[in-house]
Amino acid sequence: MSEWQRKNPLEWQTYVNKEVKVTAAEKHEYKGWVLTIDPVSANIVLGKLMEDGKISVSVILGHAVKEVEIGNEGDDEMKEQLAHLFMPEESKAYGQEELERRKSSLKTWLETNHIPVTEQGESQRTLCVAGVLMIDPPYGPEDCSSSNEIILSRVQSLIQGHLAAQE
Amino acid sequence: WITPGRVPVSVLRLPRGPDGTSRGFDPNSPRYQALSSSSISTAGSGNRADLEREQQGRVELRERYLRSLFAMAGHTVHFTMYERVNVSASFDASDIDILNFQVSNLQTPLGVHREALLRCSDIISYTFEL
Repeated sequence: MSEWQRKNPLEWQTYVNKEVKVTAAEKHEYKGWVLTIDPVSANIVLGKLMEDGKISVSVILGHAVKEVEIGNEGDDEMKEQLAHLFMPEESKAYGQEELERRKSSLKTWLETNHIPVTEQGESQRTLCVAGVLMIDPPYGPEDCSSSNEIILSRVQSLIQGHLAAQE
Repeated sequence: WITPGRVPVSVLRLPRGPDGTSRGFDPNSPRYQALSSSSISTAGSGNRADLEREQQGRVELRERYLRSLFAMAGHTVHFTMYERVNVSASFDASDIDILNFQVSNLQTPLGVHREALLRCSDIISYTFEL
């Protein structure tokens, strides 16, 4: 295992949002802004703005990384852009009231379906289902997280059904 | 009239599936312990606050990575493999340990494969556009 793969998450985090040059196996070189580093595989995700406005994403696999040189740090605008790159579209579009309405509507609906649900986190914004699944704003199927993929898929399809019924 | 005898049926025991809490990075889970030396790195300090901070960092990095895989689904991805092999394919899915990628329409110098699994250990890098 290489030195790069042995780093811990806190060390990897120091690379996020920085411009880097990565030297990989067989002398391949990559430049770009670090979007993230997968803590399981040590894969480095780089983003680069293309001339046509598109974003090119390059990922160097952790086992192939030889050297990483840190360059510039991104400004706030760049950081914001990088942070939202892979995030679901709608997460920015809802106002506070609308979010509250969506939350209580989903909560009521889950309760009518006899699914235990509680509110958690700062200002009770996260819904917690049966203690094993979290639903964050804006409370769509993509906003569920759970380490139990069976429960995850069941609840996601339930929410899908709930949203479809509302339309 | 013969009553059918009670023929013993052999019991097929399936391996135990992951229980609800053992799928992630809980340091006490069998999964973590099986993988810890090879693929999950930690600063390894016993301090609870440090561990908490490290877990938080791991969560943020991992979520972004998983979302990047999600964003890649259905896109054409170019793979740079060892020995100067370059192929492209439409990305479908990955396993949670990032050991294999499942792809469709893999374009190789020898022709197109409708469905294929790529071993991540054979890949140096991959690139796609958003």
